[in-house]
Amino acid sequence: MSGTGTIPLAERRWSLLVTVLAFALPVVFVLVPLAIFLGYSFFSVDQGTIVHTLSLGNYVRFFTDPIFLPVFWNTIVLCLSVAAICILLAYPAAYFLTTLKGRWRYALLMLLLVPLLMSYVIKIYAIRSILGLNGFLNKALVGLGILQEPSTLFVFNMNAILLTLTLLLIPFAILPIFLSLERIPQVLLRASDDLGASGLQTFLRITLPLSLPGVASAASFVFVLAIGDFLTPQMVGGISGFTFGRILYSQFGTAYNWPFGAALSVALAVVVIAAILVGERFGRNRGTAI
Amino acid sequence: MNQNTDLLTLRSVSKSYGTVPVLHDIDLSIKDGEFLTVLGPSGSGKTTVLRLIGGLEPLTSGEIRLDGQDISRMPINRRPFNTVFQDYALFPHLTVSGNVGYGLSVRHVPRKEIARRVAEALELVQLGRFTDRFPAQLSGGQRQRVALARALICQPRLILLDEPLAALDLELRRQMQEFLKSIQREIKTTFLFVTHDQEEAIGMADRICVMQAGHIRQLGTPHELYYKPNCEFVARFFGENNLVAGKLGSVQGELRSIETALGRLVCSIRDQPHLKTATDGASAFAAFRPEALHLADAKDTENRFSGTIADMAFAGSSTVATITAGADHAGQRLRLRMPSRVDGSTLKSGATISLAFAPHEGHLVLA
Repeated sequence: MSGTGTIPLAERRWSLLVTVLAFALPVVFVLVPLAIFLGYSFFSVDQGTIVHTLSLGNYVRFFTDPIFLPVFWNTIVLCLSVAAICILLAYPAAYFLTTLKGRWRYALLMLLLVPLLMSYVIKIYAIRSILGLNGFLNKALVGLGILQEPSTLFVFNMNAILLTLTLLLIPFAILPIFLSLERIPQVLLRASDDLGASGLQTFLRITLPLSLPGVASAASFVFVLAIGDFLTPQMVGGISGFTFGRILYSQFGTAYNWPFGAALSVALAVVVIAAILVGERFGRNRGTAI
Repeated sequence: MNQNTDLLTLRSVSKSYGTVPVLHDIDLSIKDGEFLTVLGPSGSGKTTVLRLIGGLEPLTSGEIRLDGQDISRMPINRRPFNTVFQDYALFPHLTVSGNVGYGLSVRHVPRKEIARRVAEALELVQLGRFTDRFPAQLSGGQRQRVALARALICQPRLILLDEPLAALDLELRRQMQEFLKSIQREIKTTFLFVTHDQEEAIGMADRICVMQAGHIRQLGTPHELYYKPNCEFVARFFGENNLVAGKLGSVQGELRSIETALGRLVCSIRDQPHLKTATDGASAFAAFRPEALHLADAKDTENRFSGTIADMAFAGSSTVATITAGADHAGQRLRLRMPSRVDGSTLKSGATISLAFAPHEGHLVLA
């Protein structure tokens, strides 16, 4: 059979065009801007104008200035904590969902995902009012007699950012964990029972390891979203809650130093790509098919 | 192991899903060390029997006794039974040895002993070289054998097999049948094997339990089921058969006559007292196997009738003739199976022939 010979020329041109577009669109709209950004990180600013001479100055400044590396490191730790707390809270919730029958399972899942449909800024305001000095959290703690007087522990500092990011990002952790739990064939759990395992043994030896891919993608999701966020730290972080995202934001705003901002973004992008790669590596199921 | 003692007894066991009954008052005894096959079409309740015994589902009523002890409410992980699941249900994140050793390791058996017994079990199922592979890296037949090794390593009193060969191709299925049977003989453990494939059942079982619509229709050796089916369902379901409807006639010793569209036929009622006592004129079927039917010769004085060959089908070792018989050589279809010959059969489609079967090769079933 002479395959290509039978396809009309017009059709072949058309399919060629589609192929070119499929490759061109991501290149033009994703890779080219990223490349331009990377280029900018080698420029510098002199009295408000960008100097288009290549230099490693921005990177040297990032690594040598005592301000940036500690904030960079603290932000990574903060976001790892957010990811860890999200996983610890989301796993039991997702597990509970999978124990529900049919309709209830998806109804409750939708309910947990509803916050994703709300405006990000409004959610931050709402959480800020919960965490604030006269907020719900303080009133509850005082009312229960746990605190003598309202505490400033939860507002305008790193704790506030941690709590707010955790609350905002939990839905992103629940979904992949739920999906990976749901994909585990029930017959494997029955087989484990049948071989004499207790409920806890079945969970630890079968359910948990088989859901780890979901946990890995949940963790990398949350981490990536948290580390790229500058709005939340800006709104609930106050002066002490200074994150890398805020520094980055200020370079493009008040400081008006795009080249340096671009260099900082490159540093952040390296971390994000690393997180995604790690998530992908562990997110792959070992020998999926049964 | 004594083949005559009962290992497991089901007493008037019923099971319903909601209001839908799937098992009605099942009584079944499984003998220690036997290979018992539960055979039935889909929806007959055969898998439910296995699931109830394994503890995968609770009974609706009745009881299951192991060595005389009621175990109906014993949780699944305490029952000394292991299951080979239909799709093997191997743990995809564990290696072959991890899978096989699972039952021992959850019982906190020392590592060294697990390693030794895993090696033994894998040797038994001829998978010694595959210890470090993951299930996804194995073929269907190999997974099957891992599942078997995993089930037998805990030395269960009973191994439950849920259509374990269904996913394999024909050649592999035949090999696995022989393999399962030889392993069962070697380890002398009781096997309860569920299948819808009667050829599989005949080939492996010591006894077969035929189920239909939630009832046990007959329990017996393959030979008994083949030559003395006790009802129309078993007669039709178990192997190819010719059934001719009629009314029972007189008893002459171990034979009884039946009036049919093919005339008066005489069939054996040996060891089947219910056929001896059945009233004259009762509706029944004369049943005779395709291989019992042959071209009549001078010796055939009974059970002679004529028919027309509608079709000849060559099936390798045998050739099957489809014959129409009865009034005007219509209305009654029969099959005749004869050994194939290299120079072909002398029978041709459309020919009218005289047929017969020996009275002791025919049997009766009540309608």
